[in-house]
Amino acid sequence: MSQPDLLAAPDDWQRLDRRMMLVYPVREVGRFIVPLLAFFVAGTATGRPWQYLTIVVPVALGVGRYLTTRYRVANGRVELRRGLVSRHVLSAPVERVRSVDLTASPVHRVLGLVTVKIGTGTASTDGDEKLDLDGLPVAQAHALRAQLLRVAAPPAPPGPLAEPVLGPDGVALPAPAPPPEPAPERVALVFSPAWLRFAPFTSAGIVIAAALVGGGSQLLGSLDLWDDLHPEQWVVAVSLWVAVVVGLVVVALASVVLSVVGYLLTNWGFRLSHGGGSWHVRRGLLTTRETSIDDERVAGVTLHQPLGLRWARGSRLGAIVTGLRTTQGDSALVPPAPRAAVEHAAATVLGTAEPVHAPLVRHGAAATRRRYLRALVPGGLLVAAAVLARALEPGVPWWVVALAVVLLALLLGLAADRARGLGHGFLAGHVVARSGSLLREREALAAGHVIGWNLRSTYFQRRQGLVTLVATTAGGDQRVEVLDVPEQLALALVARATPTLFAEVAEVAEVAAQP
Amino acid sequence: MSAPAPPPAAVPALREPAQRVDPRARLMWIVSSVVESVVTLGIIGTVVVLTGVVELRWWMVAGVVALDLLYVAVVPHWRYLVHRWEVTETAVHTQVGWWSRERRIAPISRIQTVDYAEGPVERLFGLASVTVTTASAAGALSISGLRRDRARRLVDELTLRADAVEGDAT
Repeated sequence: MSQPDLLAAPDDWQRLDRRMMLVYPVREVGRFIVPLLAFFVAGTATGRPWQYLTIVVPVALGVGRYLTTRYRVANGRVELRRGLVSRHVLSAPVERVRSVDLTASPVHRVLGLVTVKIGTGTASTDGDEKLDLDGLPVAQAHALRAQLLRVAAPPAPPGPLAEPVLGPDGVALPAPAPPPEPAPERVALVFSPAWLRFAPFTSAGIVIAAALVGGGSQLLGSLDLWDDLHPEQWVVAVSLWVAVVVGLVVVALASVVLSVVGYLLTNWGFRLSHGGGSWHVRRGLLTTRETSIDDERVAGVTLHQPLGLRWARGSRLGAIVTGLRTTQGDSALVPPAPRAAVEHAAATVLGTAEPVHAPLVRHGAAATRRRYLRALVPGGLLVAAAVLARALEPGVPWWVVALAVVLLALLLGLAADRARGLGHGFLAGHVVARSGSLLREREALAAGHVIGWNLRSTYFQRRQGLVTLVATTAGGDQRVEVLDVPEQLALALVARATPTLFAEVAEVAEVAAQP
Repeated sequence: MSAPAPPPAAVPALREPAQRVDPRARLMWIVSSVVESVVTLGIIGTVVVLTGVVELRWWMVAGVVALDLLYVAVVPHWRYLVHRWEVTETAVHTQVGWWSRERRIAPISRIQTVDYAEGPVERLFGLASVTVTTASAAGALSISGLRRDRARRLVDELTLRADAVEGDAT
C-alpha cells in the first residue's frame, strides 16, 4: 500500500469486530430455536450427546459468519462481501450514500459496538441486499460515517471520474480519516421528559391497543376459550352499559400507558444536531439509533400536525430526503414535541423561518365548496338512507338515524377544518403546501429539488377553475401536493419556483424576464 | 391571518402542447375499449346468469349495453382531443386523460430513463408509446399512440439530450 494505487490490494478487506462472535451465536439460537430444541430433547431422551449440538451449531454458525463477512471502502465504492456457500458481494458508489444510520441494541451497547446501516436509496427490500455492517467498534463506526458522508457531501464533482479524490481513502480504514476537521456540532433540539405528554395524542397507543385486543381475541379463538367465557354471568352484578364503559376506560388507559412506554423507548435521549456537513438524529432508550443525513440530500421538511397532536399544541417533523422514500427510509427529524420547538427546529434545518411561519395564500371559495360537497354527498346519502329505512321498516331503531346525523355533522366539521387548512406559497425559495385535517401537513420543498410539475383536474374541477398541482421530487413521498388551487395561483407558483421551466411551456415566452 | 392573494395579473396561461398523437390512436382506443367492454359485459353476464342474483330484464341489458356503446363512441374521441405532447428546447410537456386530465412538465435535464413500448393492441396499428421517467416516482411522463418511427426518433432525441447533462439528475 505504499504507492497510491487505485486498484485496491486484496487485503483492504476488513473484518467486522471480533466481539461480534459473542453476539452472533445468541442470534443464531433465536433463529434456529425449533431444531435446537428438537436436538436438546432428542439428546436428553436417548442419552446420546445430541444436546451438545445446541451449543456447537450456533457457535460454529456465528464464527463462520464472522470469518466470511468482510467490507471495504475503496476506489470510491463501499463493498460488503459475505457468505461461505452462497456468496454475496454488495457494492455501491460512495457518492450515492444518502444516509448513515448507527444502531446499537442493548447487547451491542454492552460490548461497545454499533451496527452501521448505509442508505443508498436502493429500491430493493431484500434484507440480503442491504449495506448493513453489523458490528463495528463505536470509534471506527464514527470514522467510517465521517468518511462516507464527507465523500458523499460535495455533489459529485464534474464528470463521473471522481476517483482521484478518493485515492487516499481507499487505504485501510482504521487509520483515522486524515483531517479530523473538528467542526463543532451544533445542537438544534434536545429531548425533554415533558414531551411525554404528547405520546397519548399519537396514533401509536391506539395501534398498540388494537393489536393487543386483536391478538388477545385471536389467542382466545385459537385456544377455543371463547366458549368458556360466559359474559352473561359477568354482567349479573353490573349492567351492560357499565361493563361497556369500564371496558372502554381500561382500553383507553392501556393505550395511554403503552403509547407513553413506546415513546419513551424510541425517543428517550433524542437530539437533533448538525455537524460535518450533515444532520444527526440520535434517540432511543435501550436500542440507540443515530441517523445522519447528508445536507445536500435534505430537500425540504414536513411538519406533521395530526388532529390529536394539534389539540395538544404539538407537532412532529420529518425530512424530505432525496433518494430516500418515506416507506423505506427513516427520515423523522423530531418526534412529537411542542409545536414551537418543532417549528424552530424546522426553521433551523431549512435555514430560514419563512416557510415555517409565514402566512399562506388561501385557495378560495371554490376549494372550500368542494370540501363541503365531499362531506355532504356521502353523509347526506347516509342520512337519507337511514330516514328512508325507518320510514319503510318500523323495526329500524331510532338511533340508526341519529347515528347517521352525527356522522354527517362530523364529516361537515372535518370539511370545515380541511378547508381552513388549505394553503400554499412560495416562501424564501421553498414551495410550501398545507392541507389535511386528521393528518394535517405543512410541507416545504426547496425549489432546486422540484423536478417537474403535474397539474391534474377533473371535469368538475375545471368548471370551477381549480387544479391540483403536484411538485414532483426524488425524496419522501415523491411529491408535494397543492390541493384544489385556482389555476392562476397554481401557474403563479410554478412560474415563481421554476421560472425557466415555466417560460418553456407558457403562452408568452417573454415571461422569464420578469422577476 | 392569511396573506392576500398575490397580484395574479402577470401570469400567462399554459400553452397546449403542440403535437397531437397519431390519428390512428383513436381507432386503437376504440378497439381496446370495445375489447374491454366485451370482457366486462361477459364477466358480469356470466355471473348474473350463473348465480341468478338478479332476474334479468330487457331494460337492464339495454341500459348497460347503451352505456357501453356511449363509452365506446365518445371516450376514444374525447381522449384524442385531449392527448397532446411537446418537446421544447429544455422541457417535455404532456397532456393526457379525458374526464380527469393531467398535464405534466419536466425539464429534459432531469430525465432518468426513456422507455419505448409497443403493447399488443398498439402493434396492430403500428403505434408505440414513449415513457419518460424522472428521479421522482410521481413524475413519469407517458405519451401513447405515437407512430412507431416517430416514437423511435423521439426516444433517440431525448436520450441524446438527457445524456448531455451532468450529475445524477436528482
